[in-house]
Amino acid sequence: MKCSTFMLGPVLLAAVVLGAQAQSPSTIKIISSLPHTGSANAQTMTMVNGIKLAIEEVGGKVGEFSIVYEPWDDASPERGQWDPAVEAANADKAVADPDIMAYIGTYNSGAAKIAMPKLNQAGLLMISPANTWPGLTKPGVGEPNEPMVYRPSGKVTYFRVVPADDIQGLVAAQWAQEMNCNKVFILHDRELYGQGVASMFQKTAKKIGLQVLGYEGIDPKASNYRSLVTKMKQKRPDLVYFGGTTQTNAGQIAKDLRAGGLNVKYMVPDGCFEEAFIRSAGASNLEGNTFITFGGVPGDKLTGKGKEFYENYKKKFGNEPEAYAAYGYECGRVVLDAIARAGKKDRAAIVAACAATKDFDGVLGKWSFDANGDTTVKTMSGNTVHNGKFEFVKVFGE
Amino acid sequence: MGARGGIWPAVYARMHWILLGLAALLPAVDLLLPPEFRLADLVRPIFIFAVLGMGLNIVTGFTGLLNLGVAAFMAIGAYTYAIATCDIYPFQLGFWTALPLTIAVGAAAGIILGLPTIRLKGDYLAIVTMGFGEMVQDSLKNLDVITKGTQGINPLPSPTLFGYVFKPETPLPWYYLFLALLAVVVLLTRNLERSRIGRTWASIREDELAATCMGINSMKAKLLAFAIGASFCSMAGGLWGAYLGSSGEPGNYDFQISIIALCIVIVGGMGSVSGVLLGAFVMIGFNAILLTKLTAFLAQHGWTSSDNVFTSPSNWKYMMFGLALILMMRFKPEGLLPSRRVKAELHEYDKDVPRQAGGATT
Amino acid sequence: MGSEDAEDQREGGRELMTDSEVLLQQVIIGLSNGMIIALIALGYTMVYGIVELINFAHGDLFMLGAFLALTIAGALGLDAVSEGALFSWGILPMFVAAPIFCGGVNWCVDRLAYRPLRNAPRLAPLVSAIGVSFVFLNIGLLWGGLPMEVFNMGQTAAAPKDFPALVSNENLLGESDITLTISQVLVFVITVPLMIGLSVLVRFTRLGKAMRAVAQNPVAARLMGIDVDRVIGATFIIGGALGGVASVVYALYNNTIYFQMGFRVGLDAFTAAVLGGIGNLPGAVLGGLVIGMIRALTDQYIATEWTNVMVFAVLILVLIFRPAGLLGTHAQEKV
Repeated sequence: MKCSTFMLGPVLLAAVVLGAQAQSPSTIKIISSLPHTGSANAQTMTMVNGIKLAIEEVGGKVGEFSIVYEPWDDASPERGQWDPAVEAANADKAVADPDIMAYIGTYNSGAAKIAMPKLNQAGLLMISPANTWPGLTKPGVGEPNEPMVYRPSGKVTYFRVVPADDIQGLVAAQWAQEMNCNKVFILHDRELYGQGVASMFQKTAKKIGLQVLGYEGIDPKASNYRSLVTKMKQKRPDLVYFGGTTQTNAGQIAKDLRAGGLNVKYMVPDGCFEEAFIRSAGASNLEGNTFITFGGVPGDKLTGKGKEFYENYKKKFGNEPEAYAAYGYECGRVVLDAIARAGKKDRAAIVAACAATKDFDGVLGKWSFDANGDTTVKTMSGNTVHNGKFEFVKVFGE
Repeated sequence: MGARGGIWPAVYARMHWILLGLAALLPAVDLLLPPEFRLADLVRPIFIFAVLGMGLNIVTGFTGLLNLGVAAFMAIGAYTYAIATCDIYPFQLGFWTALPLTIAVGAAAGIILGLPTIRLKGDYLAIVTMGFGEMVQDSLKNLDVITKGTQGINPLPSPTLFGYVFKPETPLPWYYLFLALLAVVVLLTRNLERSRIGRTWASIREDELAATCMGINSMKAKLLAFAIGASFCSMAGGLWGAYLGSSGEPGNYDFQISIIALCIVIVGGMGSVSGVLLGAFVMIGFNAILLTKLTAFLAQHGWTSSDNVFTSPSNWKYMMFGLALILMMRFKPEGLLPSRRVKAELHEYDKDVPRQAGGATT
Repeated sequence: MGSEDAEDQREGGRELMTDSEVLLQQVIIGLSNGMIIALIALGYTMVYGIVELINFAHGDLFMLGAFLALTIAGALGLDAVSEGALFSWGILPMFVAAPIFCGGVNWCVDRLAYRPLRNAPRLAPLVSAIGVSFVFLNIGLLWGGLPMEVFNMGQTAAAPKDFPALVSNENLLGESDITLTISQVLVFVITVPLMIGLSVLVRFTRLGKAMRAVAQNPVAARLMGIDVDRVIGATFIIGGALGGVASVVYALYNNTIYFQMGFRVGLDAFTAAVLGGIGNLPGAVLGGLVIGMIRALTDQYIATEWTNVMVFAVLILVLIFRPAGLLGTHAQEKV
């Protein structure tokens, strides 16, 4: 109780001082809810940088409105990753603040499931740079009650600029077939993203006639996977597919495949399309036999608006933009564009303007939002690793 | 503190009601503040964690059994509640039938774990409960036919009360719903503490051998503590599910939750009901309120930048949390609001420098 | 594709591994992983035996040791060993520095965080240990963000780091399907003598005798003229140093380190300590090996996703029948 009075004192004082500043009619707040604390911090930073760049490019102003951007953390130190309580609190807080017109997030699809219904009810625009679970937007792909359960108001208020995993799983399985890998062993990290994309891969693989030798969930915190590699070795797959990310030990699996003497092709999804993956796996372990699928084309292959972004980002932040930087940047630009077209500080108008985004000249090409709130970008690129760098191989689905 | 005369001992003995009363007034105080300083929204999870802490307090605080697996019971509660209410399962119960069910399932789970293991001594039991936590979490992930695996079960319908629907966008009714349920738990716990079984637990905590010599069936009493503790933790899980509108992912109920619950009980003061309340406020509020506000404040003044690992405040959160724990224990090892009985025991210890250690190194 | 050659070889190559070959391979893997777990478990069990503290920070201390080793590798400009070489001599300074560092840090932590709480309620130091573990975690996170010449750890502070293969991962058995690498041999070459040395120390030296005396009864030990605080401090140093050695062995064997790596390993090690009988040194080693084996065999014969469940299921079963662990005995209770 000592504690309560202790905290209330300064709060009251600050309230008096700051009370006058709140609620300026010409200020629009954009917030992002991404995991800053813990292992996903690196990806979050690139997304936040992308958003900042987008806002900076318009000089922090859209029409008469000045744009204020606040990056919120949806992770907590005690969880070390996204925290459902923090995500729920962020959503509630955003809904309660009348200045907030857009909610950029989340990184984890699981977090999106918590925030989506809350924001939808309040009619607040939510746009994600990273959620790839298909069920968030697409009927008939995920659970039977998805995605309507996330739209209690009946309207679409959630959008995403990344292609969902059903596309990625499809492309990956087809690519495996193209490379004459007819026997595949599928692993996943038992997390929403990894298991989602692995299950999509499995579905397609079965459909197009690949032989699935096994489908197993790993412990992403295990120190190594040598016994698993031995098990796979006995079945002699042509390709090992891992649905997971750098954080869930994609690099360790690559190492153990080589150390265990299983020299097969290794394919991973876009969660591994980052420098950190190569650095954690060791370039020599990936050389020539690792394949990464990714929505859109890599930074240095971009043209037009994308090329411009690539140069600007490199200049401002001193390193190459990674996959998530482009998605974050795209999110930022879409939001600003929607605000500009809405022309007023009104949540419903901005959502409507965002939904009407058409032939948007983005870094990922020209695209629109479909009726579900998904991007029409279906371009996936296939990449490999050569000399410690990602090397673009081919484009799918154009 | 407690030894001083005057009104203080009476106040101290009713501290839990005072804390709950303050919590009841908080939304009114909030009305006076601009949105960015309002706390009530952030306090709701604290109520749920306080219920969780109450459950652990019965096992660890009252009975002296270290339990490192409360996350498992919370998960069981959340999933039971989700399966009972979600419209993709055939049950579709309402909040007020699902919640007692959640509590019952939690108690059953406590007994199932307790029956074979309750005989284990001290920290052997602790490690078994920790293992149980890991097993439940992994099983929830793997049994995706029942639990939807990593998908989680969602969304869950809003609770209703006499025709009133608790909607996610109106936080205030939720606030009082959780506060009222917490008050019920506090009342129950206080009554348990002062009843025959409460004294039995205390005697086991203080000296199990002596207690059994006096004719107390310590196995039965310990098992009962396990079951009641688990049922409270499970209830916290059910409330958590209702609050999130989702069962959450199995990964949300990992070892860290058990650690946090333990910190709530110990930082608050072992065996002290008011301590658990304050402990929950301090532990959950530290991140949800203090660190969040601090980060926002620093960012607002441009004192942080994200281009360097060292200048980004989120990279220092573990450090601040850890140091806070160490310092709190350094200066208040008996907890913020220790129970009188524990405090009395402590002073006994003063004379008996290092405690007896049981383990033998060979 | 670079793997074309390897592929041809394989396609035209031998038959599948036989079941007994697979079993043998899993035993090798299980024992090597188990040895590392055992080494960390010793640190837990020593500290527990003497102050009855579950040292939650031990796993994270182990992580810091691995980061120190990586920093040394970076500072010396070490890179993976070339083909044919068995190991790089650069691992020597690591095996010297990491134990000293971890032992020293562990002693400081005891001095600052745990010693003031010797008379506090039994569980208060446990919360301090949790706090210390968070602090270590944060140090590891920031450490991973240090810009380094060779590995460029910066920017992605939280990402797993590659630890150069300073000990060859080549198969000693040549073309055989069974793999036994130098790094696996190294695990045994380092840990077995260390364990023998430790039991000699505890059994025959003055310090060892003092440690056993303090573990049995600190008050009596003090009355016999033993400096209890000093003995406890020495225990923390030895336990930490073992963790330091384990961290280098782990890093050389697995070649990946990251700031949260202490969690699973720490959990396994603590489970091993309890499984073997907490406070019991041979028990900790046995527990570590058992857990390593359970992991490998479950991965092979059941399914990877049930591995953790199996570990704890076995633990509970063992404790039901042997409540003090495999080798533990309960001290007589005093009335």
